[in-house]
Amino acid sequence: MTTRHQVTRTTAAALAALLALTAAGCSSKAKDSGKDGDKPSAGGIKTGQGVTDKTIKLGVLTDMTGVYASLGKSVTQAQQLYVKQVNADGGICGRKVELVVRDHGYDPQKAVSGYTELSPQVLGFAQFIGSPFVAAVKQRVDGQDKGLVIPQAWSASLLGSPYIRVIGNTYDVETINAVDFLMKEKGLKKGDKLGHVYFEGDYGENALAGAKYAAEEAGLTVVEQKIKPTDNDMTAQVAALKKAGVKGVVISAGPRQAASFVGVATAVKLQAPIIGNNSAFSPQLLATQAGPALMKNYYVASPTQPIGTDSPDAKKLVADYKAAYPSDALDNGVVAGWTAASVFGEALKKACTAKDLTREGVDKALLTIDAYDSGFGTTHDFTDPKAPSSRQTVVLQPDKKVTGGMKVVREAEVSKAAESFTVGG
Amino acid sequence: MTTFAELLLNGISIGSVYALIALGFVVIFRATEVVNFAHASLLLAGGYVTAVLHDDIGFWLALLAGIGGAAAVGAGVEFLVMRRYRGSNHSVLAIVTIGVDILLTTELTRRIGTDVLALGDPWGDSVLTVAGVSVAHTRIAAFVAAGLLITAFLLAFRLTSWGVAMRAAAENSETAALMGVRLGRVSLGAWAVAGGLAAVAALFLTVFPTPGLERSTSLAAMKAFPAAILGGLDSTTGALVGGFLVGITESLATGYQGDLTFLGRGIGDLAPYLVMVAVLLVRPAGLFGTKELARV
Amino acid sequence: MSDPIKRLRRPALWTAGAVLLLALPFYLDRFWLQAGLFAMAAAIGAIGLNLLTGSTGQLSMGHAFFLAVGAYGYCVLAGDSTGTLTGLNLPSWLAAVLAVALAGVAGGLFSPIAGRLQGAYLGIATLALIFIGQHVLFNAHDLTGGFNGRDVPPLSLFGVTFDESELLVAAVPFGSAEKLWYVALLALAGCALFARGVLRGRPGRAMNAIRDHRIAAGVLGVPVARYRAGVFVLSSMYAGLAGVLLALVFQRTVPEYFGMILSLEYLAMIVIGGLGSVAGAVVGAVFVSLLPQLLTRYSDALPLVSAPGTGGVAPGEASRYLYGAAVVAVVLFLPGGLVRPAFRRRKTTTSEESP
Repeated sequence: MTTRHQVTRTTAAALAALLALTAAGCSSKAKDSGKDGDKPSAGGIKTGQGVTDKTIKLGVLTDMTGVYASLGKSVTQAQQLYVKQVNADGGICGRKVELVVRDHGYDPQKAVSGYTELSPQVLGFAQFIGSPFVAAVKQRVDGQDKGLVIPQAWSASLLGSPYIRVIGNTYDVETINAVDFLMKEKGLKKGDKLGHVYFEGDYGENALAGAKYAAEEAGLTVVEQKIKPTDNDMTAQVAALKKAGVKGVVISAGPRQAASFVGVATAVKLQAPIIGNNSAFSPQLLATQAGPALMKNYYVASPTQPIGTDSPDAKKLVADYKAAYPSDALDNGVVAGWTAASVFGEALKKACTAKDLTREGVDKALLTIDAYDSGFGTTHDFTDPKAPSSRQTVVLQPDKKVTGGMKVVREAEVSKAAESFTVGG
Repeated sequence: MTTFAELLLNGISIGSVYALIALGFVVIFRATEVVNFAHASLLLAGGYVTAVLHDDIGFWLALLAGIGGAAAVGAGVEFLVMRRYRGSNHSVLAIVTIGVDILLTTELTRRIGTDVLALGDPWGDSVLTVAGVSVAHTRIAAFVAAGLLITAFLLAFRLTSWGVAMRAAAENSETAALMGVRLGRVSLGAWAVAGGLAAVAALFLTVFPTPGLERSTSLAAMKAFPAAILGGLDSTTGALVGGFLVGITESLATGYQGDLTFLGRGIGDLAPYLVMVAVLLVRPAGLFGTKELARV
Repeated sequence: MSDPIKRLRRPALWTAGAVLLLALPFYLDRFWLQAGLFAMAAAIGAIGLNLLTGSTGQLSMGHAFFLAVGAYGYCVLAGDSTGTLTGLNLPSWLAAVLAVALAGVAGGLFSPIAGRLQGAYLGIATLALIFIGQHVLFNAHDLTGGFNGRDVPPLSLFGVTFDESELLVAAVPFGSAEKLWYVALLALAGCALFARGVLRGRPGRAMNAIRDHRIAAGVLGVPVARYRAGVFVLSSMYAGLAGVLLALVFQRTVPEYFGMILSLEYLAMIVIGGLGSVAGAVVGAVFVSLLPQLLTRYSDALPLVSAPGTGGVAPGEASRYLYGAAVVAVVLFLPGGLVRPAFRRRKTTTSEESP
């Protein structure tokens, strides 16, 4: 018995000592000075992580199998399309752009793992779906990684970091502009009640902050109805808002909830105009029972013009996207993905001119862009990390006949209340 | 008052749909003593078949196909998987159904993808308004269909030889087997019936006021769990009462959430579970469940 | 049977394994270390669940709730009161211990139900915990930070802070993942040994008796309700510890994580690994938590799995197919789980050894 234990112990000690001796020598992780430093490369351009002489690697953390699958698919495909076109034109800075896509299926563990895996090998992230996950890695982005991250979410809670940049109006600003639309064009007036159906969580609660501010400015009362993403039947919500006597409704939820709400509201003759945030519509809904009701009494506030806009840029994107993905729906995710990728591309081009393709260089380059127009009706100003890149909102209306299912009813506009609103405050 | 009546009616009609799901759940439990966590995927399967076929063969045929499809999936699960485990620990079997559920749900959600599928039902979005109280036609249809199905089922349960065999198996499976009851057939039948009922429930969960069938539709089956438990897992009456209770609680808690803000908003989802916990504290076997008598 | 080489083989294997585990942080990059940390935390939670489900026959679908209690408990106890968030600012090691205790208390509060219900009945009843948990996590803003969660204060122990500050060990820079690795390893070893002690002693036999024949166990004098409630509390504490570790690895707690899927994953772990055995829980936890990571990382190189967006089976889906099938197949073909064959062999050798 004793001998056995002694043998074990000696083996253990010997192995441990061996390990300690070899660890330093063999580990590829051991620090040798200067390895991490940025190095100048071809053409005197400084490069760092994710950039070689031939390629620029960008990360994409998306959701293709989870709750935001339809958004993730459109955004990712649009970004792949953008990258393909950029590369066909010779790339950026003489380098091919390459997207490394990871699908996290809206699972926090996979999202954080995906970030950990990709962050050492990419320059930045052209897409990151799921604001709770962006919040989860925020410390690391701000603290050490310092790479540019473009989230596909419009929540004000994401603002403030110099590296995580929201493109377009945030949900609170969008909601303020939406209320402004109801008041100016749809007969909502001072003293009226405004119904607000919103998702539990980031998106809904951020929109609620906007609705409350707008209501206060305009002398309205907000009647709240909080729902969960799993609620698909809005009968009880419509009944409650009807009982409260609301004269207008804002929906900050998903497409299904919007469809159900509008359908029920029309059926029970709730006489109030309904407007949703940009995430509260999907063109597929027009083929369901709720289609006619949606076309009659539903509006959508959006940070950009819709995909079906009658402009050369939009027409080209539609044609190219259709050619590349003939079986997939054209929705606003395509515009969002395209815009995000082109903003990133613009920043890369500026960084190239400044001969600094490091993460720092790209961050700096983005801060100099103050009037970028991606071709969808709004201009973006990235000079202030504390503010969204735009406060303009376009108001759309569902229409089966238009590509992408939506047409513009009010062009990009910033309401007075949205102007004076302190975002995230 | 109209609001209350509207909410109550809605609760009752959606509750009748929950009762359908819970009934299938109870049938499987009675026949095999297995808690079937794969019920959600049976529901999704039925809805999916209906949604895919309705354009080609019309709604009613598609619905029949959906019922048949879900029944076949249920029977298939019993035949290919559950049958091999007979005699194992029931907790382990419950976990096996979770495995089956993961498989089926993954396959179905992959097929459905990001679409919202319409089921092509004939009721559309029309609404019946009587004395200021409005109810959607689909809700009335749900209530009537569920009522008919449940009555038919209970009659079959009492009168047909399958029902008798099933009740015998639930009473004491060993004795039943000795008396010549074919347990395999009983359990196969139970799974098929549960699948069929789930397919009907899927229809009423995806028509107006909900936009259509999509990947998260199966989550509605989660509401049938508290329904079945609070009624008593081995009681068909319990499943009905439980279903209505869950439907009404959910509807009222959502409709009156403005007056319940001290509990936090969005309480509607949670309310059925709170009711369930409260019932279990008083009656561990549920409202109508048999309190287990042990013979050693 | 006194072949010395044979006798030495097992301890030698254990030592080699331990040395390997201790050496990993020197070689693996952060992605793998993080994956390993997730697996270790999951293993602790799975050991606890296995005590309840595998050994006592009580099904719990509410394990994610206790993980959340541990994770958020730690944040509240160790965190500062900043802005709208409440925090008690306790020393982080104490907060970790108290968070585990808190999970135990939460389990205890559920004992009127946990003690009286059995098997799958309890499984559905515990679903309520998930829904209650999600509701509280989203709504109790000043404690949980609501939808976006709250930052997790780093652990500090014996003057070492387990955060990103670099610590050079034998010329290898140690960040949070490397440092936490050893904490997790220690916690896992402790938990595994404790659970083994419980299972091999009197309580273990009583638990198995309750699982195999509840009434007989009662007749033999085992206080069934008390045991059930007790095991439920113990398994909640294991989950609480797993939650604390996960929070430390994530560096931020988000409510979405603690949903029903997580509970199902834990059940899959113990079934795949082997019900009722500590080693089984560990093996199952490693399998279930590493599988999606492996498939995602190597999706380009694997047949049948296609990159996201190309229309085929995405890596996330492939891993769900695999572990769904694994649950079904393991129960069908390996009723004792993945560890059973090894276990059975060892059992025969021990019986040979004992005279």
